[in-house]
Amino acid sequence: MSELIQLGSHNERPMPPKADELNLRFSEQAIKELEGLKTHYPNLKACILPGLWIAQREYGGFLDGDAIAEVAHRLSRSYAEVQGVATFYSMYNTVHNPGKHKIEVCTCLSCHFNSAYRIRDYVSKKLGIKNGETTADGMFMLEEVECLNACDRAPVVQVGDRYFGPVDEKSIDALLEELRASEESTVVKMADQIVQVQLKAEERVGTIR
Amino acid sequence: MAEYKLLLKHSDDPATQTLAGYKKAGGYSGLAKALKMERQAVIDEVKTSGLRGRGGAGFPSWIKWNGLPKEKVKPHYVLCNADEGEPGTFKDKMLMETAPFQLIEGMTIAGFAVQGDVGYIYIRGEFIDAAKALRKAIDEAYANNLLGKNILGTDFSYDLHIHLGAGSYECGEESALMSSLMGERGMPRLKFPHAPLPTVSGVWERPTLINNVESYSCVPHIIDKGGEWYATLGASTKNSRGTKIFSVSGHVNKPGNYEIEFGTPLKELLEMAGGVKGGKLKACIPGGSSMPVIKPDAVDVAIIGYEEMGEVKSMVGSGGCMFFNEHTDIVMLAWRTAHFYANESCGKCTPCREGTRWMVQIMDRIVAGNGQKGDMELLTEVANNVEGRSFCALGDAAAWPIKAFIRQFPEEFEYWIEHGKSPVTSKEALALVP
Repeated sequence: MSELIQLGSHNERPMPPKADELNLRFSEQAIKELEGLKTHYPNLKACILPGLWIAQREYGGFLDGDAIAEVAHRLSRSYAEVQGVATFYSMYNTVHNPGKHKIEVCTCLSCHFNSAYRIRDYVSKKLGIKNGETTADGMFMLEEVECLNACDRAPVVQVGDRYFGPVDEKSIDALLEELRASEESTVVKMADQIVQVQLKAEERVGTIR
Repeated sequence: MAEYKLLLKHSDDPATQTLAGYKKAGGYSGLAKALKMERQAVIDEVKTSGLRGRGGAGFPSWIKWNGLPKEKVKPHYVLCNADEGEPGTFKDKMLMETAPFQLIEGMTIAGFAVQGDVGYIYIRGEFIDAAKALRKAIDEAYANNLLGKNILGTDFSYDLHIHLGAGSYECGEESALMSSLMGERGMPRLKFPHAPLPTVSGVWERPTLINNVESYSCVPHIIDKGGEWYATLGASTKNSRGTKIFSVSGHVNKPGNYEIEFGTPLKELLEMAGGVKGGKLKACIPGGSSMPVIKPDAVDVAIIGYEEMGEVKSMVGSGGCMFFNEHTDIVMLAWRTAHFYANESCGKCTPCREGTRWMVQIMDRIVAGNGQKGDMELLTEVANNVEGRSFCALGDAAAWPIKAFIRQFPEEFEYWIEHGKSPVTSKEALALVP
């Protein structure tokens, strides 16, 4: 991606990537949604977070270099700035493609003392992956996360836009079966729903499910 | 005292999540009343009520409200901190999911009082259900002239947007939240007195009012029933007024949110939550993971109140109350707490970034059975050097619990260091070791 990081000449700010060197993939819906979001804030910089959510949906759940570059281009920010923001937040998938479903197991205090590590190890063994990895078929990713703030339902697991808790081995089995059978990627659905809830009724193109 | 349901009064009635149902339950009478009042009178009402910030610090809300310029030059912003991330706390989530209009009304009143133009509700990315409930409510409010231009026929116009975070505990800190809203990495900024207060120069360098979800949710009740009435709640305490929602979790029979009046004994809160399960009480963290741990004898005498909790050397914090039974390994608890803060430290300030990592390394070697003599002193020393030495309170929040665990349960640390294994040998406890 180094060609995208343009430093410009003589004390200029780093320039945003130009359209002709990019492979733009935002759909018409995404462009409309971004236009709507732009009206919410006094400047384009503030649209980086919502813009990255749109990109995460448009690029199938994974923010690769092209996705970062497209957000930077559409918001007139430099590649480095947008990448810097994206890598700070844990819900943007910037390291590797998470696959279709991200199983997020909370292991923070209340969950920890309600056997969350047992659940994590069970998922890990069942799927044959370690924390932070994705299965070879690209179906599941396992991630140990910090407090999901549903401590009353400890131990809690989040998959996309749904919370499950309290979970045990049996309900994990059922959950994995259900996810395996579903067509839709919960990672993409989550990103889509996050975009939709930020849009006003008249700006919304998709639906809130 | 029993539960006192004010904010959660209609939480089990889904009908109040629609505008008609909310109005039927007495909603929006606070806003109607506020719009007929002088702006300063609304702020004075909040002052009379004695409302203090419910996010953790307990700062008097009216001082913030009063701090915004009365002569408006630039746009004013109203922010709601809904980036609830404190381990053990889940009250804001419930308030947003079950009483979205209450929050919207509170923010609209706040917007009116401080001449706000735009409000933002910054919700953590994981809380999509809360965001959906709020979006539905906001759409309905817009359609019924309760948001937008000329609200209820007055000359007050106010926009309200939802902004979702993307996974960062640090963004619950007000200056980091503002950085994040502006499209930056969620890192804190220099604070007063080294930098202007947010009320003078906050988000986009404009006057900004920022409060917690629960604080805003109190406002409609304060305006509707009067600040004086609100101040009668919790009047037995030194300086805490109103109700507070406690999220009770851990080893209790009925975990959940319990709204109580200030002045209620902590012991009663435990009784409301059905008592301890699986054994006797061993420890309690009363206000979220950042707050110092207390022992059962302190739980017996503790009264819930901002000053009163100080007497047992802890704090009300955000209200994430966790109880742990006798099979709990305190060193394991300290180990997990240390990991949490090291994972969530944003990395801006060296003492916090390096100190939290260092504490994790020491804790890791203790629970691996390789603890060294002097590790307890070293942990305390590192914690002392993190505390008060970072831009935001995350450094303090990382140091306080570790110091308290060592102060309250030194024998467990000593056992681990000496024997390389847990002093708690029951079957229940062993299942927890990762």
